[in-house]
Amino acid sequence: MGLVIISEKKEHWDSRFAFIMAAVGSAVGLGNVWRFPFVCYKNGGGAFLIPYFVALFTAGIPLMILEFSVGHMLRGPPPECFKKIGKKLEWIGWWTTLIPFIVASYYVVVMAWCFSYMIYSVDLRWGADAGNFFLNTFLGATTGPFVIGGFRIPVILGLLAIWTSIFLILYKGVKRIGKVVAITVPLPTILLIILTVRGLTLPGAMQGVSYYLTPDFSKLLHGDVWLAAYAQVFFSLSLAQGILITYASFLKKKSDITNNAFIASLADAGTSFLAGFTVFSVVGYLALSKGVGIEKLGIAGPYLTFITYPTAISLLPFAASVFGIMFYIALLTFGIDSAFSMIEPITVGINTKWRISKTKSTAIICMLGFFASLIFTTGSGLHWLDIVDHFIANFGLVLVGLTECIVFGYLYKLYRLREHANAVSDIRIGRWWDILIRFIVPVVLITLLIASLFENLTTTYMGYPAWAIIAGGVIPLLVILIISIILMQKRGK
Amino acid sequence: MSLSAIVMLIFGSTVLYGGLLYFIYRAFKAGK
Repeated sequence: MGLVIISEKKEHWDSRFAFIMAAVGSAVGLGNVWRFPFVCYKNGGGAFLIPYFVALFTAGIPLMILEFSVGHMLRGPPPECFKKIGKKLEWIGWWTTLIPFIVASYYVVVMAWCFSYMIYSVDLRWGADAGNFFLNTFLGATTGPFVIGGFRIPVILGLLAIWTSIFLILYKGVKRIGKVVAITVPLPTILLIILTVRGLTLPGAMQGVSYYLTPDFSKLLHGDVWLAAYAQVFFSLSLAQGILITYASFLKKKSDITNNAFIASLADAGTSFLAGFTVFSVVGYLALSKGVGIEKLGIAGPYLTFITYPTAISLLPFAASVFGIMFYIALLTFGIDSAFSMIEPITVGINTKWRISKTKSTAIICMLGFFASLIFTTGSGLHWLDIVDHFIANFGLVLVGLTECIVFGYLYKLYRLREHANAVSDIRIGRWWDILIRFIVPVVLITLLIASLFENLTTTYMGYPAWAIIAGGVIPLLVILIISIILMQKRGK
Repeated sequence: MSLSAIVMLIFGSTVLYGGLLYFIYRAFKAGK
């Protein structure tokens, strides 16, 4: 293990529990609530669990073990780790940390919406028409991305609150993160359980759950269902964002890697599975109350969270406000761990390379993040959010994941990482892990990339104009590539 | 709820929550 370099005064997690909670907190986010249940329903219901588990055990957990091993063995944020493998590879590390920074810039805006809706829940301000309230009154949504519209003051205020919270959590280092996640991981899970129990006692809930879980095994013959399972696992586990590498670099020398990866992955998947009951029980109730089919209701993304769910909350026979507040607190606390984990790799990267204080690097990044978020607080914000998210997730993250597999699987001696993981872990991994990282995962990621490329070349994404796709999709990816190369060339201290 | 949905519910819960409990048990047993 010639490459192990341990810096002086290296920070560590207070306990194994703190590290696992931080990894789980990073993985579990808004997507577990608004993405998984819908993807499951759309791709065969309960039958989707089969490809989902296959994807979890053949790609998700092996990649998580890889990222934990890299961070733990090479002991640094991604730019430092890639630099230790090859000086000219440092830019990949910066690229890895800049992608979650872009994701955070719009993710935080969605959290700001949740923040406002938590307050609006007190008097159920969305009234009888939650759709109109969300799109027109609250967001002032314009007709297209180039019709910018004005800044939305409530969203900016929420944004300020969230970015300030991120700064206050991160600037003191991982020990404070450990203390925060001890609350922000269990709390939303408990709230989700309470909301699920409430949802399941509503009329129509069982029809909703039936929609979610009734299996359609014929869908397992469709390649796109398997692709959806791999994509869901890949996007949900905070992979390819440098987060897990950075977090693992703060583990003590003898800390377990493999078992931690199993616990964090299964906790994330378990939360998604639970969230399906929370969502579909309430959606079933709403469908029954309105006398419409479930398929007619928005059951994914912002439409689920800010239109369908509030509509259902308004119809609750008692304590509607209480359940509304609980739902948005759950989303906020699920989201905050993911949001600050996306900022941590870049701040640690800057902090390590230029030896500036953690307070300073965190303040710089949070301020830059705040200004980058502003475009999403305008009337056109929803359009830009949609475009940037689509391209960063489908191309940025997948490309980083693929690059990681190539660098660690082919340019580096992968068995060293396996031996390192086995030396410190309770559960030993065999050569099958090398095969997964070198062959299976890259094939899956290449297939995902080709499928996305084909889809985007044959159809215009959501009918947006070509310039909007270039401005929101292509330019951010190119800009972060150029910045990564510049950061690599800058001399460190 | 249909029988097949109940079967998938048991299957999903066993793999996810059973698996999670098993690995947490291993962590406690290892005492690290």
